[in-house]
Amino acid sequence: MSKTSLTRRSFVKVSALAGAAAAVGASMAGCMQEAPQEDLAGTGETVPPSTEGLTPVRTSCHGCIQMCPAIAWMKDGVVVKLEGDPEAPVSRGSLCIKGLNQLHTMYSPRRVLHPLRRAGERGENKWEVISWDEAVTEAATHIKDAIDKYGNYAFFSSVGGGGAYSFMEAMTLPHAFGSPTVFEPGCAQCYLPRWALSKLFYGGDDQSVADNAVQEIFKVNDNKTEVVVVWGAQPSVSETAESGRGMAELRAAGVKTVVVDPNFSPDAVKADVWLPVRPGTDTGLLLSWFRYIFENKLYDEEFTKYWTNLPFLIDMDEKSPRYKLPVLAADVFPDFKQTTPENTPAYVCFDLKTNAVAPFEYSAPADSAVDPEIFWAGEFNGKQYKTAGQIYKEEADPWTLEHTAEVCWVPADRIEAGVKLYVENNGGIVNGVASDMTESASQVPLGCMGLDSIMGRINKPGVTMTQKGGGYFSTMTDTGEAKSIRPVTYNNGFGGMFSDMYGIGAVVGMSDAQNEARMKAMAEQNGEMQKRHNKLLVDRLGMKDHKGLYAWCHSHIPTVRNAIATGEPYKPRVWFDMSGNKLAMLGNAKSWYEVFPEVDYVIGQYPMLTSFHIEAADLVFPLREWLEEPMVNMTQLDTQWLQNECVHIGETVSHSIPAAQVVNKARELWGGEIPGGLMPGLLADATEADVKNTAATTLGAPDWETLQADIDKYVPCVTPDYWNYNQHEQICDEDGLPMGFATESRKVETYCQILIKLARTGYPYCYPEPQEACEDYSPICSFIEPAESPYEGAPGYDAEYPFVLTSGRVPYFHHGTMRHAPFSRELFPCAEIRINPASAKELGIEHMDWVKVTSRRGEVHARAYLTEGVAPKTVWMERFWNPECYDASQPNPTGGWRECNVNVLTKNDAPFNEVYGSYTNRGFTVKIEKSTRPENIWVEAEEFEPFMPTQEMLAEAQTKDVF
Amino acid sequence: MKNTLVIDLDRCSGCDSCVAACKHENQMNLGVVRNHVSAIGPTGTFPDIEMYWLPMQCQQCENPGCIEVCPTGASYRDESTGIVLVNAEDCIGCESCLTGCPYGVRQMNPKTNTIEKCTLCFQRRGDEDWVPACVHNCCCGARYFGDLDDPESAAAKAVVAAGENAHYLYDPADLKPTTVYILSEKTAKWQDEPVEVTRYEKQ
Repeated sequence: MSKTSLTRRSFVKVSALAGAAAAVGASMAGCMQEAPQEDLAGTGETVPPSTEGLTPVRTSCHGCIQMCPAIAWMKDGVVVKLEGDPEAPVSRGSLCIKGLNQLHTMYSPRRVLHPLRRAGERGENKWEVISWDEAVTEAATHIKDAIDKYGNYAFFSSVGGGGAYSFMEAMTLPHAFGSPTVFEPGCAQCYLPRWALSKLFYGGDDQSVADNAVQEIFKVNDNKTEVVVVWGAQPSVSETAESGRGMAELRAAGVKTVVVDPNFSPDAVKADVWLPVRPGTDTGLLLSWFRYIFENKLYDEEFTKYWTNLPFLIDMDEKSPRYKLPVLAADVFPDFKQTTPENTPAYVCFDLKTNAVAPFEYSAPADSAVDPEIFWAGEFNGKQYKTAGQIYKEEADPWTLEHTAEVCWVPADRIEAGVKLYVENNGGIVNGVASDMTESASQVPLGCMGLDSIMGRINKPGVTMTQKGGGYFSTMTDTGEAKSIRPVTYNNGFGGMFSDMYGIGAVVGMSDAQNEARMKAMAEQNGEMQKRHNKLLVDRLGMKDHKGLYAWCHSHIPTVRNAIATGEPYKPRVWFDMSGNKLAMLGNAKSWYEVFPEVDYVIGQYPMLTSFHIEAADLVFPLREWLEEPMVNMTQLDTQWLQNECVHIGETVSHSIPAAQVVNKARELWGGEIPGGLMPGLLADATEADVKNTAATTLGAPDWETLQADIDKYVPCVTPDYWNYNQHEQICDEDGLPMGFATESRKVETYCQILIKLARTGYPYCYPEPQEACEDYSPICSFIEPAESPYEGAPGYDAEYPFVLTSGRVPYFHHGTMRHAPFSRELFPCAEIRINPASAKELGIEHMDWVKVTSRRGEVHARAYLTEGVAPKTVWMERFWNPECYDASQPNPTGGWRECNVNVLTKNDAPFNEVYGSYTNRGFTVKIEKSTRPENIWVEAEEFEPFMPTQEMLAEAQTKDVF
Repeated sequence: MKNTLVIDLDRCSGCDSCVAACKHENQMNLGVVRNHVSAIGPTGTFPDIEMYWLPMQCQQCENPGCIEVCPTGASYRDESTGIVLVNAEDCIGCESCLTGCPYGVRQMNPKTNTIEKCTLCFQRRGDEDWVPACVHNCCCGARYFGDLDDPESAAAKAVVAAGENAHYLYDPADLKPTTVYILSEKTAKWQDEPVEVTRYEKQ
């Protein structure tokens, strides 16, 4: 490390002590003195507990997507102290800086406590307080007028950005208004690809350690995990008190870890093997593991043969309607009589018993008529075929350790050490948001799940791919107990909830005839709603190309932006945003700022005003902070906890209420029914009483009052039969076969065959009426060189931008939250860019110099943090935005989103991830030059004084529910 | 009585929650801290590097240099707990103790003109299970608190379990810091004179 670039604090000031050293030998007794008067120790009196006069309230933090149980200590109606709840099984009393600093954000002078109407021009930050009645009527009227004049598609909603719990509300509000348009800067760029693919891949839970999905590795009792591969996540930073604590515990227990991350994150620091992959090239590294495992025959042969679809022969005939799909036994063996039910098709393999191509019926491994070859290519009946395993093997073949080292910037011996640790120990792969933010958003999870599948690490103790009996994001496919039906996966929405609600979306695992009959029956019940919803699916923006977005019913963000700009194919005009700072969260923020004038009316809701509200909003609804809002959703292991209403100030409301009130008002204005809208449409509690009772019933309490009277009786709420193993092997009463998986083939679809159907028709989501076809999606992990490459000669190379930028979190903030939390900002005051000291030296940049970072989209500023923890050509930034920029003390206020915001740099144009339309937040190229601190940016601790809670805020009266 | 902290650096991930927990518990102003977390490294050259985090606060020395140089006796050791404290009423803000402490863990609070230092949350000593706020909320389970003279204390047990991985800050002046840091070479090599990487505003 270059010492000149770092500060060397005089850490141990030996010189200052040189003279005193002799005298310091004074005995301890000599240093003692009488305790001061107020100290009762030693006087015989008992020292009172520090919590005397305070009342504890059990609650849960919601400072990130997870929820750590916490205790709020109250005094005279004010929360004066927060701490972790030691009874929590994973967080064990931990509470991170995001949670602790809620004490300041709750009472921040930046809180919005009443509905606000814009009083000046957009960007001027001038507001007038209005009544809730006025605000709700105004919002509903604008929406109604726009829909009456321009049609239902004039309305759109959005969510995301941190401190947002309105996933369901944002998804269903457009339903109520008969519009297909909703987006979230997360979604395709955060979690959707991993979540949705796990349902298509094997009908089970995904591998996300960042979204509450993976619990098995954190089990307190009977933990069988020996190795965890953290692929593109930093649990110790993103979910510090829960997954971070969990990781600390399992490492202390001797569990090995491999961490794939371009940045030397805390989890990388602690890893047994760190693989600092070049940003955006994870697919190459994954394929090198496949190659190593195939080459050295390290896979679980029986599981791969009988429980994955890799032995299936794939139709290689481009003219065939089943091109790239597995061959059906009935199609090539005319005399074949399938013995399994129609919902469990027989495929074809190369049988090693007979050395011939043969039907491959679904059965328990021991009952199989064939011994399927995993890797085979050859001719049958005059046509060429390959097994899915062979296709994977050929894809992986170029990825030798040496080739991978060259492309992915990870030394070959490290790659080998990582894969060896993985194969030699029981465990699994966990992941996070990293891959979602690249063009490889579908290919990386296919690879991560693919590896675990060929290792047979599914539904077993100690692995990460499991099917638990609960959890907010868990699939409705309930294989938690040996139900007597063949497992199926419902689609469209969380748990496929919209499928039954509206009669849309095929059920994977039902036969075509069963699905057709189901749709027909539902059409008879509610044909109009089915038709309307199906039309929304067909008309949704960007769906032709990126049909994976159907899983969460979201639109393709860049296509929405273009529709706003051009009016093609229709113009979204009235915007209801449900959280956060869109300008800090949306890729290529400037491109969004430019289309704000095209949006006629913008409604926002949040506990404070962000850049987005300053620059775009016409109306803002005040929301509760997490200390005020009752909620239950996330889990720790098999337990659920209550986020309690500890306090309530102003006229703030729970997150679901503004949308529900606006919909009710709109219905009233239209005389009862929203023309063209769906029913039930919006799924949201309209009153605090409903919010409270939803929380109570989730915990098994009859109502809110009963819950509050005896919280300890209902909290934590334990999900029975949560831990399940080997479900696929249990016998299904319906057909006497092993249960298998909730996929079309009833097996783990390592070759994700349903993605081929998805690309061609939208199946299983856009159903019964299909979506237009696009290019086929890749059913396996395949390599993608990032569009902006640092390689001379590669397409997308530009010598002007020599560094590859990637990003990630720091522990102080979650998405766009906490930038107004003074104790977070004094520790991490402004944007930083981590640069390798050797590269910095070439640029004449020293540690903590301000630098300008420029991409092909724009430029921002950050302080240089020199570290050997990134490769010489890699730089790393956290997102940032600066609410101080529009502080009243600023002579020239700005919106605070242009100065330090990495999303001014990010790339929101093609190429997108083929399945999900994810754009490029990570792995694009930039240049770096020395600069100076932008005006308005605070960095010194004392500068954040205007963000400290004020006496006025602490004195805010406890208020009753508004609705 | 040797109440002190034992901090497991194999666990610590540098998340700074201990700093926030301390500041809220002890109602500190902006810019004033009683503890901080130093990033030590990464040392080496990419990708062959290692690092650790070193949470810093009063080391509860057996021979505290701060008490020795305090002209008013404001710096003292509490008899009942053995904890080094500052009596704010007697503190004149002369900062002499800053020269007596080699570890940079005392800081002048400009608002009160007195010295701030870690008290191990002395105000919580009457609690049923007295632990400082940083220990309670630590997100890595990395902190132990207790009397090292009591072999049954969590702190003493952690030190025994750590064996030769237990370290003390460099102590050329024989102050005998009691705070124990646990670090194994699996994480990183303990550095007696560590290079700390800090954030500061470059002038």
